[in-house]
Amino acid sequence: MPTGTPAPPVFDGVADVIAVLVLLAEFGMLRAALLPAQIRLYAGQSLLLAVLAAIAAQQRNVPDLYALAVLSAVLKVLAVPAVLRRMLRDTGTDIAGSGVLGVATRTLCALLATAFGFFATAGLPIRAAVLPRTALSLAVAAVLVAFILMIFRRDVVSQAVGFFSMENAVSLASLVIAATMPFLLEVVLLFDLLVAVVVFSALIRIHHNRRQSLSTRKLSGLRG
Amino acid sequence: MNPRLSPVLLQVLQVGTVALAAPGLSGFIARLEARLQGRRGPRILQPYYDIVKFFRKESLAPLEASWIFLAAPFVAFVCYLTIPLLIPVLTSYGLPLGYMGDILGGGFLLALASFAVALAAAETGSPYAQLGSSRSKTFGAITEPVVLFVVFTVALLTSTDLPYALAATVRQSAGQIVRPAHLLAAAAFFLVILYETGRIPIETHSGTNEFGMIEEARSFEHSGPYLAMLRWGAAMKQFILYIIFLNVFVAPWGLASDGSLAAVILAVLALLGKAALVGVGVAVIDDSFAKLRLFKISEFVAAAFLLAVLAVFTVYLGGG
Repeated sequence: MPTGTPAPPVFDGVADVIAVLVLLAEFGMLRAALLPAQIRLYAGQSLLLAVLAAIAAQQRNVPDLYALAVLSAVLKVLAVPAVLRRMLRDTGTDIAGSGVLGVATRTLCALLATAFGFFATAGLPIRAAVLPRTALSLAVAAVLVAFILMIFRRDVVSQAVGFFSMENAVSLASLVIAATMPFLLEVVLLFDLLVAVVVFSALIRIHHNRRQSLSTRKLSGLRG
Repeated sequence: MNPRLSPVLLQVLQVGTVALAAPGLSGFIARLEARLQGRRGPRILQPYYDIVKFFRKESLAPLEASWIFLAAPFVAFVCYLTIPLLIPVLTSYGLPLGYMGDILGGGFLLALASFAVALAAAETGSPYAQLGSSRSKTFGAITEPVVLFVVFTVALLTSTDLPYALAATVRQSAGQIVRPAHLLAAAAFFLVILYETGRIPIETHSGTNEFGMIEEARSFEHSGPYLAMLRWGAAMKQFILYIIFLNVFVAPWGLASDGSLAAVILAVLALLGKAALVGVGVAVIDDSFAKLRLFKISEFVAAAFLLAVLAVFTVYLGGG
């Protein structure tokens, strides 16, 4: 019986599947028409990441990752989505301004970005200790899809969510290549996210106060 | 007392099981769907009665239609009778004619059947039938690449393109089941099944609303025995797609590993049980989602395409 590509161990398979789900959540955010749905997807993506960190901590015996999982669950699954939802309630807008391209075209563009992410990391001589290397390709692909999300969606909330989910993808990548880095560094990265949340919420509030809308299309009037 | 069945008899049994059980599966899903909606629903055996009734009725053809219109139901039916020879329906090992065609061969036969029916619909000159056939070919232009990518994934996982080989690979280890390429390909294939069998979110299966019809509209002009063949063929197509989904991708267990009578009977029962479970899933989806608007269907098939392409990426470039 021919063997084909040999199967990875079960743990690697499960970790890869969670990484794939993180990427699919990113695609979901790119597609979601309603902003609350986008925020829900972000919360789901963060939860997947926390679960992945917890599984890695248990399987590979890296107790630091437990703390990281709990901290990121509290911050990214509960706190950040709550702040975003609160802001959406204040602005009273649920539906984002339409994107630059249709959904199918956007998906195809994101698929091309994904392919680039896979090609770019396939040749890297990285040996991952904690998570399989496939997860790194998926993380880089998710970063690129987050860029596509921020470029093609014309509203401030999508751009904020895109930025936050890019942080999720980056932390997935860091789980692969630097899972055993000092805990302090991981926490500093997380607090970076908090700074971003403060900045973005200020941006969203000011934009909405001045323009009475979340769409960034109005900003093109500022061009000289 | 456990007699062994000859491979030839087993092969006939594979075709027979598909042909005989397929209308029952459709009836089961229709009944369950109705129960979930709080209706009593038709009898499970209703599709059989319908087919018998149509065989007794006279058949009419549009004046301008040529022999293609009359030949199409037979071509489609023969295609659907041939596919069970190629896929693992009851046995886990390939039967004499099992290696006559690979998974692409099965795909070609499915496409040929669908093409014949679409051609016959175009022959009629009836606007609704033509509408259905042109729509099914339009969206088929995206679902067929999905099937191709699923086949590529199978080929990368097993280095063959035989359905028996993938089933054997899946049975090998738990690592094969949870690897993302396998799960993504299976999910993409399931979305294709929803599209190909005309289920929600693509179209309402038993609806009479012409504007939303795709698969169902194509047989509008056929009548009598020809319509019976088309209906029976459609039920067989649904069962065949379920069998490929179950016995090749998701649950290749419960198949007979030798030709003994007890194992074969057990395999038939296991297959019916597994297909009924997929039917439950499909009925639940039918009752919990709304039909997509026509131009949103491209988003649905784009999602299937995304899953299938990601499956190839993860295994070919990512090594997962």
